[in-house]
Formats: sequence, structure tokens, C-alpha cells
Amino acid sequence: MRSLLRLATMELKLFLREPIVLTFVFAFPVLTVLVLGGVFDDDDPNFEGVLPSDYYVAAYIAVVIAAIGLVMLPVHLASYRERGVLRRFDVSRYPRWALPAAWILVAMVITIVAVTVLLVTGQLVYGLPRPDDVLGVAAGTLLGAFTFVSIGIVLGLALPSARSAQGLGMLLFFPFFLLGGAGPPPDAMGDSMKSISNAVPLTHVVRSVQEPWLDLGSPTDHLAVLAGLAVVATAGWVTLASRATT
Amino acid sequence: MTAVVEVAGLTKRYGAHMAVDNVGFSVAEGEIFGILGVNGAGKTTTVECLQGLRRPDSGRMRVLGVDPRTAGAELRARVGSQLQASALPDRLRVEEAVRLFGDGDRRSAERLLESWDLARLRRSSFASLSGGQRQRLFIALALLNQPQVVFFDELTQGLDPLARSGVWDAIRDVREQGATVVLVTHFMDEAEALCDRVAVMRAGRVVDSGTPAELIARHARATTVTFTPPVWLDPSSLRRLPGVDRLERHDESIRVIGTNQLIAPVCAAVLGDDQLGPSDLRVHHPTLEDALVALISEPDTEPRPGDAASRTLLGVS
Repeated sequence: MRSLLRLATMELKLFLREPIVLTFVFAFPVLTVLVLGGVFDDDDPNFEGVLPSDYYVAAYIAVVIAAIGLVMLPVHLASYRERGVLRRFDVSRYPRWALPAAWILVAMVITIVAVTVLLVTGQLVYGLPRPDDVLGVAAGTLLGAFTFVSIGIVLGLALPSARSAQGLGMLLFFPFFLLGGAGPPPDAMGDSMKSISNAVPLTHVVRSVQEPWLDLGSPTDHLAVLAGLAVVATAGWVTLASRATT
Repeated sequence: MTAVVEVAGLTKRYGAHMAVDNVGFSVAEGEIFGILGVNGAGKTTTVECLQGLRRPDSGRMRVLGVDPRTAGAELRARVGSQLQASALPDRLRVEEAVRLFGDGDRRSAERLLESWDLARLRRSSFASLSGGQRQRLFIALALLNQPQVVFFDELTQGLDPLARSGVWDAIRDVREQGATVVLVTHFMDEAEALCDRVAVMRAGRVVDSGTPAELIARHARATTVTFTPPVWLDPSSLRRLPGVDRLERHDESIRVIGTNQLIAPVCAAVLGDDQLGPSDLRVHHPTLEDALVALISEPDTEPRPGDAASRTLLGVS
């Protein structure tokens, strides 16, 4: 446990020394807020009876979560592998799970900070609706973040280079982003698009945050899907980490 | 003496390529053991199996009495490793790296920083270090936490000659303090200067092993003395001197070939009345490099009958 905290502190310190890495995570979602909050008319009927800018609040959060899990983490970890940093850790006294576990801690901290920055921006620019169920929103956000961080660890440990991680990360990020609730609202989609949208994991993050926030129903199903994914991803990275990295 | 590292029948295959093919050797406590060979001979793969970085297809391995495949974490606390290709995060500073990989003993970490000339670089980030500085940092990291066995893969790569001999002294100190050292290298002068015993690998196999002197005696060319003979000398008279096997003529110069014993008599024989000898006289002693060149340039990969005696030494020390 001490070595885990030591590694997490180090990783966080290294992140803060290279703030350029964080621009995608912080700047892109803020940009999304500014664009999506403004494109739809307030009386657009496709938003389950709520204001479009309110409807997209959950999507902003999901964009942060997806950017960290699908792009930032995989690129970071894969570059560690590519450059031989993982090998150096592999011959150290740290157990093999310690570095990925430290990254989970760090990524969760970054998520919380980035989501906070984002919500403050949204509040200042458009004004946010009052959440119906604050604990439910927090639970959805944290579980969604944990699931995507775990997926990010799997991708980072499985992919051979930073470039491949960047490529695959982007390839996943944009469809997730567009179909997962940050793009057109599901009610504006055709049936086939809607069912594809339901298969995108990010959709479940959006619904898990949106439903308790706007009182649109019970998010239990979505939380269950996220929990299932988290279990699979955790088993995945634990297996990958226990393997020798060379 | 107890064997600290034991390998038998180690095999690792990448697709159709046999990277390591039935390799065996053992390293005694307190020994400096060298694994030699050209690039691609399987040296690094062998050591990576012992470090737990790779999983061999088959074979028996013991490091400090345990199998690196199953006792990874326990072993890594007792083993130091310097890897051929590795890195640290760019923004990590030298002193942070030492603290991160150390066991919290600040005094010994400080001593290592001093003795590897890293103390003045303590605030430097890894990205800003030169190749030689990185190499010294990796050696220092391998020696943290008083390891009982230390693996070095290309110990002095990227170091200038002065730094190299400093590193050699430091490795001898490590052994004096009781650690066992396994050294992968393709520098024969390094192996000759440091190693008690060596194994030579070629195409994934150990082709011979023994002390550097044994390998030189078995495989190296003979001692030679080369010079331009003075006009008054009858070169054929040199044939009768002790230790001389044969003479070779190369244009103006002559090469006397045989055992070490020939050096003094030949030099005496070429000394004129004026007490001056040929100014271009050169003596070449056989080196480990000669032995290695002979070993790796043998035409087939199968062991020759003449090598049978030395092969049986493998795996038994």
C-alpha cells in the first residue's frame, strides 16, 4: 500500500511537470460545453422534455471520462512500454500490479479535477440545472470514470507503442463521443442508430449521470453494465500486468 | 561453492527462430561470470529469462535457489538489474529515481549517488542526462538495496574509456562486498579484465565456457613476434629456438609463431652488436578476442568432436 501511494505521488508529480499532456483532457471537453450548449433551440422536442443545455451536462462529464480513459492513459502507458520504462519497473522491487494501480489512482484524481473545472465553466457560461440526486450523480460519475480508467489501463498495457495507442484511442473516442450522448440526442436518431448507440459503453456513463441529475428514471441498468465492464477490464489488466512486459 | 545462478536446457523460441537453444551454465557465489557473443547470439534473451522479464519455453532456472518464473517479486528484492534497453520517465529527477527504486535507506542511496558521480546531477531530469550519465544512473539503480546477484547487460555501453575503467573497478568492489555478478558483453577486453569465468554464445547456444585463460588456450591463435629482419640475420635459424612453431614471411617482415616461450629467445636473437633491435618489432599475445573470433567464425553451428571435452564442463562448475 505504501509503495502504491509512493508510485501514485510520483506519477502525479510527473504529470504536473508536463501540463501539455493534460490539454486534451481539459480543453476539449470545455470546448464541447461551449459548442453543444449553444447549438440547439430551447424548445427542441428531442431532449425528453428537458432543456438541451441541461441535457448535455452529463455528456460533458462523459467526454472528460472518455478522453482520460481512451486517449490519455493508453498513450501514456504505451509510451512507457515503448521507451522501456515498464521494463525498468519490471526488474524493481515493486509488484507488477503496483504501477497500473497507481495510474488508476492518479487518473481518478485527474478526472475529478477535470470534471470540476468543466462544471465550473458550464455554470459560468450557461448555468447548470440543480441535480435531482447529487449522490446518484456522484456515483454515476465515479463508476463511469473507474470503468473507463480500467479500460484505458488495458489498452495501454496491450498496445505496443504510443502511436498505436493514439490511433486506436482516437478511433474509439470519436464514435463513443458522437454516439454516446455527446452527439445528437437519441430521440433524433433512427432505430438502428439508436441500438448502436446503446451498445457504446460511453452511453451508459452518460445515462448514469443524466438520469439522477435530471430525474429521468432509474440508472440501475446502466450502472450494472458499467460495473460489469469494470470487472472485465480489471481482470484484463491484472492478467496483462502479471505477464512479462518484454 | 554454492551455485547462485543455475541454468539447464534453457530454450526460447520466437516463431521459427531459436533465440536460446538448450543453454546451460552455472555461476558460483562471489563470481563475476561473463556471457559473451556477437549481437543476436541470445545473450540478452538468456539473461532476461533469469530476470523474470521473459518466460522461456522450457528449461530449468534457479537464481538464489528459486525459480524466477514463480518467485518474481521475492527475487527482485534480492537481485539488481541493469538492462540493455530501458528508460525512466522523462521528467523524473536523478534523486527521485534513486528514492523511488531504493528501499528507503537514505544513507546508502546517498553513497551511491556520490560514488557514481551523480550527486551534482541530483536535480536533473532523466531527459536531460547524457548517454553516459544515464548509464551510470542505471548502474547505480542496479546496485541499490544491497543485491546478492547483479545482472549487467552491456555494462559500459556509451561510456568513455576513462569512465569504463572506473566502472570496472566499481564492479570489482561489488564482488568484494560479496555479490555475484553476471555480465553480458561483447567487449572482450571487459570480459578479460573482469570475469572469472565466461560462456561464449553463438546462434542461441553456448559453444564453450571456462576461464578466459582456458578459452584463450583452447581457441586463440598463437603468440606472434613480427619484425623486419636485420640484413645479417638468417631467419631460418629462428626455427630452432624454444617455443617456435613456424615462420611466415609478409613482404619485408617476418612473423614468428608459437607459444609464449618464444618471445625472449627471438628478441635476443634479433639484437645486433649495437644493442639495437628492429624498430618495428611487435609482440602479440593471444587475447580473449582472438578466442572469440575463432569460436564464432567456425563454419558450422554443430559442436565439433574436438569441443566435446569442453562441452561436458557446461552446467557443472
